[in-house]
Parts: sequence; C-alpha cells; structure tokens
Amino acid sequence: MLFSILALATALFIVNSKNVFYSAVSLAFLGISVAVLIADINPAAYSLYSAFHLILYVGATVVFLSISLVMFRGLEVKEVKTPWAPSLAIVAAIAFFAVLVLSTSSITPSGTPEQLNLAVVGEKLISQYWFPTFILIVALLTTMIEALSLARRD
Amino acid sequence: MIVVDSALVVATLLIAIGIYGLLNSKNVIRVLLSSEIILNAAILLIFSMSALVGKSYTPLIFSVFAIGMALTEVVVAFASVILYYRQKGSLEVD
Repeated sequence: MLFSILALATALFIVNSKNVFYSAVSLAFLGISVAVLIADINPAAYSLYSAFHLILYVGATVVFLSISLVMFRGLEVKEVKTPWAPSLAIVAAIAFFAVLVLSTSSITPSGTPEQLNLAVVGEKLISQYWFPTFILIVALLTTMIEALSLARRD
Repeated sequence: MIVVDSALVVATLLIAIGIYGLLNSKNVIRVLLSSEIILNAAILLIFSMSALVGKSYTPLIFSVFAIGMALTEVVVAFASVILYYRQKGSLEVD
C-alpha cells in the first residue's frame, strides 16, 4: 500500500515538476516502488527480478539520465496546458482497465505459482531464448560504445 | 489475490499518468520520462497477469529483455536529445 502510493506520487511529480532534473531523480523512486510492488506479488518467484530491476533500471538507467542532464542548461519546463489531456488520460485509463478486467475474467487463478530456479532461468536464456539474449548483448555493447563516443565528443 | 489486484490498479493509474505526461509537455526529456512511467507500468502489469495465471519464468525472461532494451533506448534517445540541443539550444519541441 505504501509503495503503491509512493509510485503514484512520484509519477505525478515526474509529470508536474518544473525542473526535469528533479523528475529524473524521482524516476529512481518510481523504479524502487515498482521493484517492491513486483516482489510483493510473489516474493518467492519475483524477488530475483526485483533485484535485477533495482540494479539495472534504478542503478544504471536512472543514474545515467540524472547525470547526463547536468550537461544541459535551462532545464526548467515551459508549461504547456493541453485542456483535453487530463480527460483523455482518464478515458484511456478507464478503457484500459475495462479491457483488462474483461480479458482476465475468463482466467482461472492458479493457486500455486511456479517456484523459480536460477539455473533454469540461465538454461532457458541460453537455449530457448538464445537469439533475444544475443540481440540484447549486442545492443548493450552498442550502448556502451555510444556512451563513450558521446563523452569524448567536443 | 488482493495484492495482484492492487498492482493492476496501480499499473493502470501509472499508464494514465504517463499518457497525461506525454500529452501535456513539449519538453523532450519530460516526454522521455513519461514513456519510462508507462514502461514501468507495463512491467508491473506483466508480473500481475503472470501471477494470475501462475507462470514465473516467462514474465521474468521477457522483463529482463524489456529492461535491457529500455536501457538501450534511453541511451539512444539521449544521444538524439544531445544532438537536438546542440542544434536548437533548447529542449522544447515545436
């Protein structure tokens, strides 16, 4: 409950803050809240991903964003008032939730979720999902090279 | 199941906030951060739905790919933002 409120509050702060640097820092709190919420769903199975989310998302992505934003001047956001934006967001949320409820109404909830084994995860990544893993490794390598070239450029 | 249901509600509200942020700003960084909110909501949704069905491995592996690609996407988007800032001298889009 606490982390649900924290997630929603930080998300609202991100979209309403006048300075995008503070928004980027708040994204770390959103990431932490989401990681806790995921672990809360099924601690035995999802705590591994929760740790991964904290390390890779909060530890790498958000820190990269926050540090990179220091390079810019004029981080204050000019307010653009789109009068129909809140109503469209509410309509989208209601429609999405209705679709979600309708699609899950036919699902019979399973009482016993699978127990997670780290060795099986590794085995699945290498054998069953080897191509996406390969693409991910290449993409992360490219990202590292890109970050280096960005840092070196005048 | 109450925990799963609250996670579904939080994910839906996060998507609504993300859409609001996308529509209500012309700042490139704010748009990027709003899309990150939607990404977090989507990942939370994947796990909530999987808990409902009782699967553990598929959402974990898919989310690992999603987070890895999100990291790549942020860096590529940021490179574009830096080039845009060097040309225009501002982070606001027309």
